[in-house]
Amino acid sequence: MENSDEALCRRVAERDEAAFDLLVERYRERAWRLAWSILRDAEAARDVSQDAFIRLYEAAGSFAGRARFSTWFYRLLVNRCLDHRRRNRWWRLWARDEGEAPGGETLLERQPAPAYDPGDALSREQAVSALWAAVDRLPPRQRAVVTLQAQEELSTAEIADVLKCSQATVRVHLHRALKTLRRTLEKR
Amino acid sequence: MADHPKTDLVPYLRGELAPADRARVARHLEGCPECREDAAALHGLIETLGRSVPPPPAIHWGRWRAELTARRDARRGRHAWWWRPVPLALSASLAGALLVLVVLGGPGTPTGNDLAVVEQTLLGRRLELLRQLSVVERLELLEDLDIIRQLDRLAAASEG
Repeated sequence: MENSDEALCRRVAERDEAAFDLLVERYRERAWRLAWSILRDAEAARDVSQDAFIRLYEAAGSFAGRARFSTWFYRLLVNRCLDHRRRNRWWRLWARDEGEAPGGETLLERQPAPAYDPGDALSREQAVSALWAAVDRLPPRQRAVVTLQAQEELSTAEIADVLKCSQATVRVHLHRALKTLRRTLEKR
Repeated sequence: MADHPKTDLVPYLRGELAPADRARVARHLEGCPECREDAAALHGLIETLGRSVPPPPAIHWGRWRAELTARRDARRGRHAWWWRPVPLALSASLAGALLVLVVLGGPGTPTGNDLAVVEQTLLGRRLELLRQLSVVERLELLEDLDIIRQLDRLAAASEG
């Protein structure tokens, strides 16, 4: 029996539990990692990653096989992440008012940064932390593009497919995101 | 220099551009120090991001899987009443009947189909009579005899 992701998805559409289990095994770590990267909240990432598999089970019949299964599944997952962020926008704004500066920096981030020394491993580590903290502050779609590009190593065409937008839009998101990140690093 | 290929730089660095676009961006970079600097910085940034992706926190996969199963079962349970075949068939029948009523204008207005049914019923009855033609003929004869017997009475009544 064929065990490609696409074949397994077709079997899930016929309510084949073993096929569903196999897809969960194959994709659960990627789903968890990507959801966590976009949401940066373990509880939410757990919910959303599970939710994406439930949706996969329910909507497997709508997988037409035109795109790769991985692209289709990433789309389910990223859409859920972006929906989650939209739903929780007001809550996050309130939480930010409570514990963060208006610019989105936490109290820790507002401390004066140590002088950057390229030879200093600790400084490099701090620079990388600051870089990913800046990724966290990007608008959701820009963050999704950066994550899909840097972490999942998807091409521009694949990212466009996941986000259901044009490749030109992906390029603009990526350009803006990298410009912001670059400015963040230059400020240090 | 006008028209800096800003949004093409990352696809260029990742080797995603079509040959013609790739040549165009390469030509531009040769003559534009600003874009060359941008491309170098972006290259470094992409490399750094790719190398330093923070790992997600550890997760207890057994618990995650159990939760997934429980949530999926709960959703299936919630849908069970309308997913079961009998209510589904009943709902479909009701919907079909409603659709027929709406489309055909209800039972008050006979349609071509209804008339055909009535016609067939009447024809059926006539066929039944034809099968028992001899009996019918005798019955008609008896009726005629009865009328003949009563002719005198009828004539007297009309004269009186």
